[in-house]
Amino acid sequence: MEAVKNALDFSDFPRIDLLIAGAVFFLFLVFPLFPHSSFAMATMIQFLMFSIYGMGWNTIGGYGGQVDLGKAQYVGIGAYTTGVMLIRWDVPFWVSMPIGMSIAVIWSFIIGYPLFRLKGHYFAIATIATSLVLKDLFTVWPFVGAARGLEISPIKFPPPDFSRLIFKEDIHYYYVILGFFFGSILYMNWFRKSRLGYQLRCIKDNEEVARSLGINVHWAKIKTYAIATAFVSMVGSFHVCYIKAIEPVDIMSLDLSILIALMAMLGGAGSLWGPIIGAGVLIPLKSYLKEWLGATAGLVGIDLILYAVIIMVISAFEPRGIWGIVEKARRRKRR
Amino acid sequence: MAFLEIEKLTKVFGGLRANDGISFSLERKELVGLIGPNGAGKTTLFNCICGHYPVTSGRILFDGEDITLHKAHEVARRGIARTFQVYVASGDLTVEENVMVGCFMQTGSRSAARDKARRTLKELKLLDLSGFMVRELPVPAQKRVTMATALGTDPKLLLLDEVAAGLNPAEIEEIMGSIRHIHDDMGVTVMLIEHVMELVMNISDRLIVLDYGEKIAEGPPQEIAKNPRVIKAYLGERYVREKGRME
Repeated sequence: MEAVKNALDFSDFPRIDLLIAGAVFFLFLVFPLFPHSSFAMATMIQFLMFSIYGMGWNTIGGYGGQVDLGKAQYVGIGAYTTGVMLIRWDVPFWVSMPIGMSIAVIWSFIIGYPLFRLKGHYFAIATIATSLVLKDLFTVWPFVGAARGLEISPIKFPPPDFSRLIFKEDIHYYYVILGFFFGSILYMNWFRKSRLGYQLRCIKDNEEVARSLGINVHWAKIKTYAIATAFVSMVGSFHVCYIKAIEPVDIMSLDLSILIALMAMLGGAGSLWGPIIGAGVLIPLKSYLKEWLGATAGLVGIDLILYAVIIMVISAFEPRGIWGIVEKARRRKRR
Repeated sequence: MAFLEIEKLTKVFGGLRANDGISFSLERKELVGLIGPNGAGKTTLFNCICGHYPVTSGRILFDGEDITLHKAHEVARRGIARTFQVYVASGDLTVEENVMVGCFMQTGSRSAARDKARRTLKELKLLDLSGFMVRELPVPAQKRVTMATALGTDPKLLLLDEVAAGLNPAEIEEIMGSIRHIHDDMGVTVMLIEHVMELVMNISDRLIVLDYGEKIAEGPPQEIAKNPRVIKAYLGERYVREKGRME
């Protein structure tokens, strides 16, 4: 019961935050009712997806301080599980998504166990490596379509189909992912107040101290890694139904892993709103830059340059990202 | 059977014998000081007891159980808490949240952990600091916060590592009161490493002296202060002279 209360209780945030968040979330709810371009709709869906990726990453990367640059492999596991199960055995999305999450979580335990023996940069590099290895395996695995990937044919699975999550209009996808988004916020609001949430922040502070307080540091990290994985894989399952085609080079790319981490870091790692703010800034910026500059002037790599600049600016000025700047200003004002 | 029993504990780092065959025991509800010059192996001994370092040889028995091979978090769950000489905080937790992490060892409920943390902070007269980030506090205050955090785990035995270092006389008086309160009123067995003689001599039932990794003396403070080996190794002639003058 206390868990439900904690998930629904946002009262430790200043009122102004809640007003802004309430207004923004209300706008999200009614946004599709107003005239909008399909490009704006696609950007909004991307934003919501990346917010959830970011929130998932934020558990281990933000609260736990373990820089994980291999989240794309779990996006891939989720997407492939749902894709393969639908195409080969006609398993509906709502069944294959939890199965995908379970497979991803089991895989995260298998690689998390040895990975968390490493620390700092070594951990980060190892997460990249495991993700790339898995990507290469999927590229040569015929059962999952090898390098060509998977494609969900609209003829074989005619829309609209809620159980398989196959729609023609983006608006349906929008409301599904919006539901996931709100659910994720509630979970994260509970998580940050849970025993594990507090213990993680202590681990980030000082692992020796954490151990002396009875925390099994290794196991706490593995558990959190699994939680992060479950969220990322959930969105991966959604992704395959939404895009209807996946390729390993795309869905398990290092770019995606980095983008997920970057999102949370830009907005503010280790805070509830951080990943959402990060995605809210970065995704529209990326989409529109690509659309305007990439298409017209042929500047294809412009978004990559942008990431690089953002990483440099964050690490130089405010490692806690945009939310860090807000909190700093508030603390100063209080004095 | 003693409460804590250390049998021939040895810890070797490369060629250095940081702890060399140390044996002693602690009774329940005792308050014991651990003194010795810098590099004598005091903190290493704490680290061995708490499972932060694997011991090279010897045995550690706590409350009738062999904890020699236990990992640090397992030792903590058996009821041994400790503070650290140098506490590095990244600044993600406020004082109250920090103490709550300790309290979370016994409970999974946030409200229970928070109540316990507030009570503990109150006991140690730190309630004014609860809203600060640990990182923002001066080192002496940080050390008292770590004391509160360790206490939050409800320990049977508390190991304090130089909690009075860098304090002024008034603050020493205050922390001495806190330690007495923890020991006398809360019923926790305490072992403390301390260089501040007026504190450790006043407060301890018994002192254990280390030098070069070996135990060179053990006994009540008055006896230890007169022990020629301890004077030579640690206290120094000047301490004895000044103490004589004061008396």
